[in-house]
Amino acid sequence: MTEAAATARREDEARRSARPRRRLSAWLAQERVFRWIPFILVEGTFVLVIIVPFILTIYISFLRWRANRPFEQATLSGFRNYEQVLTDAGFWAALGRTFYFAGAAVILELVIGFVLAMLVHRVVRFRRIYITVFLIPMMVVPVVAGYNFSMIYLDSGPLNQLLAPFVEPFGINPRIRWLSDPIAAQWAIILADVWQWTSLTFLIFLSGFSALPPQLINAARVMGASRRQIFFWVELPLLKPAIVIAVVIRSMEALKLFDPVVLLTFGGPGTSTQTIAYYLWEQVWQFNKFSFGAAASILLLIIFSVLIFTGIWALTRQSAASERARIQ
Amino acid sequence: MTDDAITPSSPPPTRRRRSRAPVVRHALLIGWAAIVMFPIFWMLQTSFKDSGEWVSWPPHWLPHNPTLKNYAQIFTFDVTGVAREATEQPFNIWGSLVDSLVICTVASLIALAMGTFLAYAISRFNVGGGKFRHMVLLIRMIPPIVVAIPLLMYYAILIPYATDSLFGARISLFDTRTGVSLLYLTITLPFVIWMMLSFIDEVPYTLEHAARVMGAGRLYTLRKVVLPLVASGMVVTFLFVFILNWAEFLLALTLTHPNVSTLPVLLNKFQSASEGRLYGPQAAIGTVITIPVVVLGVLIQKHLVKGFSFGMVRR
Repeated sequence: MTEAAATARREDEARRSARPRRRLSAWLAQERVFRWIPFILVEGTFVLVIIVPFILTIYISFLRWRANRPFEQATLSGFRNYEQVLTDAGFWAALGRTFYFAGAAVILELVIGFVLAMLVHRVVRFRRIYITVFLIPMMVVPVVAGYNFSMIYLDSGPLNQLLAPFVEPFGINPRIRWLSDPIAAQWAIILADVWQWTSLTFLIFLSGFSALPPQLINAARVMGASRRQIFFWVELPLLKPAIVIAVVIRSMEALKLFDPVVLLTFGGPGTSTQTIAYYLWEQVWQFNKFSFGAAASILLLIIFSVLIFTGIWALTRQSAASERARIQ
Repeated sequence: MTDDAITPSSPPPTRRRRSRAPVVRHALLIGWAAIVMFPIFWMLQTSFKDSGEWVSWPPHWLPHNPTLKNYAQIFTFDVTGVAREATEQPFNIWGSLVDSLVICTVASLIALAMGTFLAYAISRFNVGGGKFRHMVLLIRMIPPIVVAIPLLMYYAILIPYATDSLFGARISLFDTRTGVSLLYLTITLPFVIWMMLSFIDEVPYTLEHAARVMGAGRLYTLRKVVLPLVASGMVVTFLFVFILNWAEFLLALTLTHPNVSTLPVLLNKFQSASEGRLYGPQAAIGTVITIPVVVLGVLIQKHLVKGFSFGMVRR
């Protein structure tokens, strides 16, 4: 009898402890809850970590404030900070330089990536090895890549050693300081970026090439098209989506260029390698010009959102087109 | 060229022309492979050189006296035991290694959990409307420097100010692991949502429907039907996001200063020393940062493009 009572009590306890859990899971299993909880969580995070700081920044951009004074003593100054940014030669120079770096790097990456993908696509032997090796730079931490290139460009580095037989006959000291010359330093950064991100354009183009329908190419060949004709009239139009994707994604990323600048040149010599990211970073973290930085951030966000929307528009249009093509 | 087309029955010239092409192709490919591997090789061999050989002219392509000193230096617990104490550089990487591991793991795991559920909701219920998938990308495309300044002010001013007036205690997220993790979690969420969407979209809805018809609850179906099918996708997404966090530099540099530092920030500290740069320990740190990530990356290679291209490229 006591045993029965004990089991009954145990069952009762088990039921009671199970009830809140069951109630929770029943509540969760409702469709409306199930639908909206993740959405609210994620959107809440975005609002808390991205939107609220931006509102704060807009407020700060109207203040007259440097970080060496307490925040409470700052006074409103209207559009003075915006005026300062817009009339600042350094800001525009850095912005222009960023576009120059991005343009040069992206063009090189596209051309090299395309040629490599075309070559790998036609190769049968060692294909997997080539692909694996070519993708490695993408996985290297950008800071480490910057460090590696700083070693290569060193005045007693391997680059100068390899160039020595070519420059020594002209009486030039082979121990060239690449990073002390403005133009060489700019190209040093561009080449480091090309080394790292050609792997991505290569990968995008390679998947573009392997998605080409062989029937179309065979048909063209049967009809007597030459290799060049097949390439320009059949393959290239079919690769257009891949090209658009590579251009948009790489340009967006290239405009963020920061890590190699810090690791290789610190924006120098002079200001010749300051990208917009580095310029702003220096204004805020070296010179403590907080409200100036806030105004510049807001302006930059406006400038970039135009580009971002153009990019997303191009991507969605492209993905819609390729979706249609897949259905057909 | 035209001759070949007209007389296809003449094999010798055709064969000779074709036989040269693969050689050129392989030569070009091997050339690029050498360019790709060279900086990594240079870092590896520098990490085994002793101080005398770091900047010798002409540079040595392989260390003449290979040594593990650089690794011993960065992994040592006792800074004063090292011969070069005069340079007052932070040799020790244990602190940064732990910071990096904790921040990246926590941020990636939480982002994975939140992102997967949202991806499921988007895929099955079309939460947020058809455009939501693309709008998520917006967050990712904002340059980090534009986010960095607002966040610095948010972490260093608004949150301490708000907590001070609300709870009477100044809580600052600046220079804390929590602060960096929260930020990484937010900026990688778009990636998680994108990648998981592509995996979840591939799970046929009929499977779930069958389970539901047979009386399984929504959560049970999710756990027993959907989760096993997307588990490998979740692993890939986790690794991808982990690699992104591991490599992040700008935001970590701006939001941490004395206490917390991730591995890229530590490597940069060495670089900023203008006098007597420690090339050897730097190379050793670079190797320690790079090797695990490259190994992981090679494992999920096939899926990398999905992440880096926001799923725009198939396969």
